[in-house]
Amino acid sequence: MSYAYLFKYIIIGDTGVGKSCLLLQFTDKRFQPVHDLTIGVEFGARMITIDNKPIKLQIWDTAGQESFRSITRSYYRGAAGALLVYDITRRETFNHLASWLEDARQHANANMTIMLIGNKSDLSHRRAVSTEEGQQFAKEHGLIFMEASAKTAQNVEEAFINTAATIYKKIQDGVFDVSNESYGIKIGYGGIQGPAGGRESSSQAGGCCS
Amino acid sequence: MWGGARGNDNEKSKGWNVVADVGSHGLVRLKEVAEKGSTAYRWEGGAERWRRKTEMAEACQVCCGLVTMAEVATMLGRRNLLSREDNDEARKQQRQSCARLLEPACWMMVLARVVEEGKNITQGYSHVEQLLDRISNGVLAEDRRSAITELQQVVAESSSAQLAFGAMGFPVLLSVLKEERDDTEIIRGSLETLVSALTPIDAVQGQKNEIRPASMNSDILSRESENISLLLSLLSEDDFYVRYYTLQLLTALLTHFSNRLQESILLIPHGIIRLMDMLMDREVIRNEALLLLTHLTREAEEIQKILVFEGAFEKIFSIIKEEGGSDGGVVVQDCIELLNNLVRNNASNQILLKETIGFEPLISILKLHRGSAYNFTQQKTINLLHALETVDLLLMGGPEGETIKNANRLSNQTAFAQKKIIDHLLMLGAESQWAPVTVRCRALRCIGNLVIRNPQNCDALANKLVGEEPHIEPALNAILRILLRTTVIPEFVAAEYVVKCFCEKNADGQATLASTMIQPSSGSRSNPRDDGAISFGSMLLQALVTSEPNGDLEMCSRACGVLSHILRDNAYSKDRVLQVKLEESVPSLGPPESLLFRLVKYLAFAASTKTGDKSQTITAGSGDGSYIQTIILQLLAIWLADCPNAVCCFLDSPSHLTCLLERVSNPHAGVFVRGLAALVLGECVLHNNSTENGRDAFAVVDAISQKVGLTSYLAQFDELLKAFDSRFSTAVSHKPPPRSSSASMLDVHEVENHNGLDHMEDHPNLTAILDPLFVTFVRKLEAGIREEFVDVYSRAKNKASILPSGLERRDGEVDGDYIKRLKFFVENQCRDMQDLLARNSNLAEELVRSGGHGAVEISAAKPSSGRERIQIDALRNELQEARRQLEMLKSQKAKMEEEVLFYQSTSGKLESDLKSLSDAYNSLEEANHRVESELKGVKIGANLSHSEVERIRTEAREEAQKEMESELNDLLVCLGQEQSKVEKLTTRLVELGDDVEKLLEGIGDEAGLPDEDEDIEEDE
Ligand SMILES: Nc1nc2c(ncn2[C@@H]2O[C@H](COP(=O)(O)OP(=O)(O)OP(=O)(O)O)[C@@H](O)[C@H]2O)c(=O)[nH]1
Ligand SMILES: [Mg+2]
Repeated sequence: MSYAYLFKYIIIGDTGVGKSCLLLQFTDKRFQPVHDLTIGVEFGARMITIDNKPIKLQIWDTAGQESFRSITRSYYRGAAGALLVYDITRRETFNHLASWLEDARQHANANMTIMLIGNKSDLSHRRAVSTEEGQQFAKEHGLIFMEASAKTAQNVEEAFINTAATIYKKIQDGVFDVSNESYGIKIGYGGIQGPAGGRESSSQAGGCCS
Repeated sequence: MWGGARGNDNEKSKGWNVVADVGSHGLVRLKEVAEKGSTAYRWEGGAERWRRKTEMAEACQVCCGLVTMAEVATMLGRRNLLSREDNDEARKQQRQSCARLLEPACWMMVLARVVEEGKNITQGYSHVEQLLDRISNGVLAEDRRSAITELQQVVAESSSAQLAFGAMGFPVLLSVLKEERDDTEIIRGSLETLVSALTPIDAVQGQKNEIRPASMNSDILSRESENISLLLSLLSEDDFYVRYYTLQLLTALLTHFSNRLQESILLIPHGIIRLMDMLMDREVIRNEALLLLTHLTREAEEIQKILVFEGAFEKIFSIIKEEGGSDGGVVVQDCIELLNNLVRNNASNQILLKETIGFEPLISILKLHRGSAYNFTQQKTINLLHALETVDLLLMGGPEGETIKNANRLSNQTAFAQKKIIDHLLMLGAESQWAPVTVRCRALRCIGNLVIRNPQNCDALANKLVGEEPHIEPALNAILRILLRTTVIPEFVAAEYVVKCFCEKNADGQATLASTMIQPSSGSRSNPRDDGAISFGSMLLQALVTSEPNGDLEMCSRACGVLSHILRDNAYSKDRVLQVKLEESVPSLGPPESLLFRLVKYLAFAASTKTGDKSQTITAGSGDGSYIQTIILQLLAIWLADCPNAVCCFLDSPSHLTCLLERVSNPHAGVFVRGLAALVLGECVLHNNSTENGRDAFAVVDAISQKVGLTSYLAQFDELLKAFDSRFSTAVSHKPPPRSSSASMLDVHEVENHNGLDHMEDHPNLTAILDPLFVTFVRKLEAGIREEFVDVYSRAKNKASILPSGLERRDGEVDGDYIKRLKFFVENQCRDMQDLLARNSNLAEELVRSGGHGAVEISAAKPSSGRERIQIDALRNELQEARRQLEMLKSQKAKMEEEVLFYQSTSGKLESDLKSLSDAYNSLEEANHRVESELKGVKIGANLSHSEVERIRTEAREEAQKEMESELNDLLVCLGQEQSKVEKLTTRLVELGDDVEKLLEGIGDEAGLPDEDEDIEEDE
């Protein structure tokens, strides 16, 4: 339970792009082939290690459907990181990115780290958005970018960890007032000094929540 | 005239008369108005003016319609009457009765109000109007402030003012809130006034159709989500009172219209976050915010999640810690209540709690220190109860589909167990008899939920010891002792729940407990205080059998419940306990009795004590006495399920079957008793693998169909299930103790006062035992039993008829053997046929009885059973056979009589022949004589030559003699013939068995012949 930092994430993006699948792959290392529409938000958690420090990730997977938008907006302000997901086989999900960003800028804290993820990279034969386009969009809006597949788990781990690493770096750089929890970052009680505890914690990570 | 009504009492009652008059005249009119619907308010100038007063009032009227206006009128009228301080009881009553009279006349009053232009607005109404006018149009800030203060006071005191405010005030104050943020004082005043307008005044005791102005005002204010936004924005104000009143206002709105509020707050960006932030505010605000959040999170999953996202758990636990844990005040209670709202049926939040904070802070609330024995304040009790509820909620898991919920429950159980919660729960529930009983019960239930379907936790419980040296004993024993001995019903129920949870799906645990069921030697029996050394099973066994047969079976019934948990679905335990033999207190009275037999004995005893007391038994479905029967039957049902050995043992004594049959057919037995007895009977068929005559499934089925009848037997199941259904539909759900501590204490006392177990309507043991699990079991069993019955009916007992191939002659089989075998086969078949016929007739009878005709009538007239019917049929057949033989005999007799007649007539003819012959002989004799005498005369008279005469005479004589001789010869021949005929007839008659002597007698002498001979004479 002891961690150096706790980061709160949200996962946003159109319905069906694979948000829940990404979370499930990250926490349970499983893939869910059937689309279980998310209602409201779902919670998941995992411990990771960055710079030898145990970091607890609390992740809220939001519903992509328009009708839940007002609910999901409540989660923006308190999140330190956001995974903004689109589906590389469905162009419209890419086209909607701007409006998602708009929402985030409006409701989230200005320091929220956003990771853009082009999901379903395993379906390259049905690709409708090129990698370059994704890169371009990320660059324009100051986002980190990755293509990933919740199915093959390719880049899934990296997506979550790189986001955490970016946040961690911002902390080190003094961007945040860490004592203010409204940024979605909390300092843990234990493990912040010694890397030993961190490793132990990280070895328990994964599959810890269902 | 309304004004008039406010004068002295005389005037007032006059006023009421007028109201009534106007009302009765106008009622017809009013109905027309009502039909016009919501436009009615425009109807008269009064309403028109009212409408024009404020936009808000219109909105209110439009939405509430005419009915609301009627209510308003009633309310105002009643309040005018009743709210005036008056100590004179008589006058008060007078007024109240007047008000009651008015109750049905509310429509009339509306009319009166509508018709009476201007005057209909009460003084209070116009006063409020004035104040509002001062607030909205006033120029001097001071005057406006004082107006608002006055308005607040008026609204706080009178509900008519609240109504008036509701009709006109909102737009005024809302615009103040919107536009005059800088004037803290007027904002405070406005908010306070709004709070007052929303706070119910409890003056008149609530009659049902009374309208509540506070609720109406909440309705008006919460209708616009814009208003809620406005209020939320006020939470950012610096002024403490502004935030404080705003929170109060929101809480008031939530208590009235929680759903609406929840929806609008959810839709307002950062709405919930704003409210959450209040938890970080100074103490008064924080406490207020806690209450508000508790209301806000009630049954609102999304809000619960957002709160948790915002770190609600951390905040709650840190407040609890600050306040001193379970020793803290009502704030701790509020915190835990909010906590409960956050985790209730919310798997997502439960996971988060477990994953990020853990259950440790929750468990630490439950920690008791051994020293703190008498430190149980009311608040502490309530705090602990709330914390135990949290544990329960977490142990129940989320609401999702079975698998997810199960996984969540399991992992929560494990997480709790890792933190050693069981020690604290045992401390609260089983060890600390000084803890309030409500806490003990709740803790026990938590223990049950902690171990249920969790093998590790079950083991942990089984291995736990409680108590302090030297009085250490296994936790389960301590719990069993509570179960058996407590005088407090809820505590019994809770302890029983632990045992039940422990046994559920825990075959090893059940088996362990069953294997300890050894009767302690009589030495230790006389020393019951030595429980510490005694095993669980022995303690249980003791409870089962120590009840004197004529004594109170309470302890036995509790123990039966426990035993049924140990036996349920566990083949080993069932067989094991079957072996339990009871040592007689007086030895050498035959072989030791088995436990099963003893229990049936108790059943019979309980039944016998009930029969005299009909008034009770009729309602005894769950009533107080027959519960023992129900419980024993339930135990038997569990025991005999899938256990042929138990069935066999049960049927060892024929009286057992009779006992059950009596229970089923006794209309005075309760529905559960009848149904469960039927169930156990069914098991005797279904799980019967005996082939022994009289104990096999056939015998049981036959007994059932003879004594009870199949239809009425099967109907018991329907009734039983129906009874279960109605039982569960009426079951009330558990409610957490309310916040108000006085009410909570009531609860506590209530629980503690229930110590008369016997006076319960529904015995708690029944409630514990006839649970949904058992109902499922019954349903399954019932289906099986029905099927088995069909099966039994479609199968022959001797199985003779299903061996057609065996009929062939075997190789080398000798005739004799073959015939013997065939004969045996045919005999068997014959028996089968008899059997089947008997059943068939039973069934047919059932069919007839159940179809159409009044069952009673037929059952009264019917031959008592099919078997008897078969016997009767057989008798009838015999009778017919006998009759046929009789008939044959008769006809034979007639034929014989005919023959006799014939022979009689023949012999008669012969006789007469004989007579005529003898007559002829006589006449010959005579003639002979005459001839001789002639001859003599001739000899003497004529004196003819002697020789000539002599010659002539000799000639004549020779001639005559010759003639005679030949005739005689003929006759003799004839006679001889007749004689042989008679002889022949005689033998024939002897052959036929007739009385020859008699017949011959008749022939011999004419008189003295019997009737038949007279007939014959007549015929002749
Ligand atoms: N081939 C492939 N399919 C994927 C991948 N990720 C998700 N899917 C499929 O896409 C569908 C939607 O996935 P979800 O994760 O439920 O979508 P979501 O974004 O959570 O949708 P909402 O909950 O409605 O917002 C499912 O049928 C997944 O099996 C992927 O990487 N590769
Ligand atoms: Mg989803």
